[in-house]
Amino acid sequence: MNPSLLMIAALVIFAATYIFIITEWINKMLAALIGGFLVVLTGIVNQEVVFEAIDWNVIFFLIGMMLVISVLRKTGIFMFVAIKSAKLARGNPLTIMMMMFMVTAFSSAFLGSVTSIMILIPIVMLISHELKIGPIPFIVTMVIASNMGGAATMVGDPPNILIGSATNYNFIDFILNLTPPVIIITLISLLLIFVMYRKKIRATLRDRAKLMSYKEKNLVKDKRLLIITLTTVLVMLVTLAMDSVLHIGTATIAMSAGLFLLIISSRQQVEQVLVSDVDWVTIFFFIGLFMIVESLVKTGFIDGLANQVMTSTRGEARPTAMAILWLSGVFSAFVDNVPFVATLIPMVQKIGTVITQKSLIDPIWWSLSLGACLGGNGTLIGASANVVAVGIARHNGVRISFWEFVKISASFTLLSLVVSSIYILVRYF
Amino acid sequence: MLLANLLDAKTITFESRSVTREQVYQDLIDRICSHNKHASPVCEKPILEAILEREKESSMAYPSGIAIPHIRLENLEDTIIAMTFLENPIDYEGVEINWMVLIFTDKSSSKLYLNIVSALLKLSLDAEAMQELHAQKDGSGVINYLRKKNIEVGKDICIADIMIMDPVSISPESPLSVLDSLMNEHKISIIPVVDDQKHFLGEVTILDVLKVGVPDYLMMIDDLAFLRSYEPLESLFEQEDKILVREIMRSDVKTLSPGTSIIEAVYHMIHKRQRFFCVVEGDVLVGIITAMDIFRKVIKA
Repeated sequence: MNPSLLMIAALVIFAATYIFIITEWINKMLAALIGGFLVVLTGIVNQEVVFEAIDWNVIFFLIGMMLVISVLRKTGIFMFVAIKSAKLARGNPLTIMMMMFMVTAFSSAFLGSVTSIMILIPIVMLISHELKIGPIPFIVTMVIASNMGGAATMVGDPPNILIGSATNYNFIDFILNLTPPVIIITLISLLLIFVMYRKKIRATLRDRAKLMSYKEKNLVKDKRLLIITLTTVLVMLVTLAMDSVLHIGTATIAMSAGLFLLIISSRQQVEQVLVSDVDWVTIFFFIGLFMIVESLVKTGFIDGLANQVMTSTRGEARPTAMAILWLSGVFSAFVDNVPFVATLIPMVQKIGTVITQKSLIDPIWWSLSLGACLGGNGTLIGASANVVAVGIARHNGVRISFWEFVKISASFTLLSLVVSSIYILVRYF
Repeated sequence: MLLANLLDAKTITFESRSVTREQVYQDLIDRICSHNKHASPVCEKPILEAILEREKESSMAYPSGIAIPHIRLENLEDTIIAMTFLENPIDYEGVEINWMVLIFTDKSSSKLYLNIVSALLKLSLDAEAMQELHAQKDGSGVINYLRKKNIEVGKDICIADIMIMDPVSISPESPLSVLDSLMNEHKISIIPVVDDQKHFLGEVTILDVLKVGVPDYLMMIDDLAFLRSYEPLESLFEQEDKILVREIMRSDVKTLSPGTSIIEAVYHMIHKRQRFFCVVEGDVLVGIITAMDIFRKVIKA
């Protein structure tokens, strides 16, 4: 078949899949898998090619992390920290909001944003109920924190996992390059929260006293398991950090930690953990995406796109980085950032064959990461954590409308992208 | 197998006097023993005491007016039935009994025994047949009638035979307070929800009531060990008049039809780890079957 016809066919399947993912007319995993096999079925690419495109490093890294998180969650440490910080705030709602912001950001940096939200949002709903304060500001600021925290490390947000796997950047590179701007953004956000809510939220001393009677010590039931788990996680992080020397591979490191913890903690219920704690829907969503994107790569669409970008930025790194930062920021506000980044990775790789100087291509990758992760805060549908949090709220009769979310999140998102731009420009150019 | 073929005219009697339960039992035991030579070794044992002892564990009376006391005897190797039709019903723990059937059986034929019980129960629910039987003059008349009616033993019993008929039910528009007092008064933890024509709409359980005081976000928290008290649960009663049954009932529940076999009911109970099912015929509520009913009437019988 004519090569340009193949490209158009691939693009049609890709666009249709994308529309289904965004609108959720059908389950997004199903959409990705259907698209992934449709490109084979229609003869655009053959099966061997798309299967080779599946990044097993990402897949097993995700599975390994899910296993680690399932055990870490069981230890109760994250709930302990959440409740403890509410008590340290002496029940003061504004302080709690700021503490929760930091706890969520920190937890998201290591557990991932969605897991953190699933653990922490129900707790903050309980707290806001006890304090008789509407939960919406708490929920939205925590969602924002989760996407910020996720941007800080290689393991925090799926786009970073994808970028980490597709490039040679290791765990430390992510920390050195992404954690500083995220810390700056988080600090400014805390200030923003202080200004926005200082006069708006109040709680009576009687209600605050209720929080102070929480017995958070009861949450850590198995100290031995907690110590083993935290040690394992620490060893895993150190090994990830040293992987540029050790060359073990991030997936193997995460899987080793996950399997070890699985045997230590839940040997009796391995099957149950594998069925319920590993999010197979996400795993197969990624697999489907890898397959579809490969069809765009093989038919030359990605190359064309990269050339377009290079032409419009005249092949210069600085405008390219800025373009990618803002493009991904705006895009991620409206579409799931995972398929977006999955598509842009091969494009940036192509740009890397033109801009070969390391100091010039580095900021482009970091721009992609910052834009995609932080842009997710833009609207209610920008990232999985947002959707999950709003879903939990709705289950409890708290409706957060699209605009209500944007009203709070827009300023934080704009702030994030502006700070990121300044950071990229000052640090790398 | 026909029920008529299992009966002996000499062990079927009609009683017009007012008698006690024990008197009826003793009379039935005597008849069985005197007309069955092969039963004589076991007849030497204190049978009446054994039956009465057994009745203390679980009632042998059924709401349709039949009582089926029975005894399992080792070495009997037979199943012998005796019965008395009572002109003056006997009060058996609040149930009016006008047909008393005593069964001697051995340990190995519990299946046949259960089938006989099932056939008798079904018969006792048939008002016309009961009238005919009571109008008979002697044992042969009863046997002839049963033969003519072709009453068979061996059809499996179904949940309609042992379910609680006409259970306590509630309207969807009733407030929580009414539901609470019904549960309290009747000591039940599940109430079917029906409209005024008894159409089944759903059910409410004690957990649905408690759930009113426990919002979803609490259910989503991994571990509640830190929380020692929670006001909405403790002040549940304040909401009693504000919340209607309609708001907390569950309508997507599994129900069983009256013809469901016991084994199928048990299967669903184990599968769903649920100890009761509403029994619905068409869309009308006809009863409730509980695991305890099955246990009492089938396993322990």
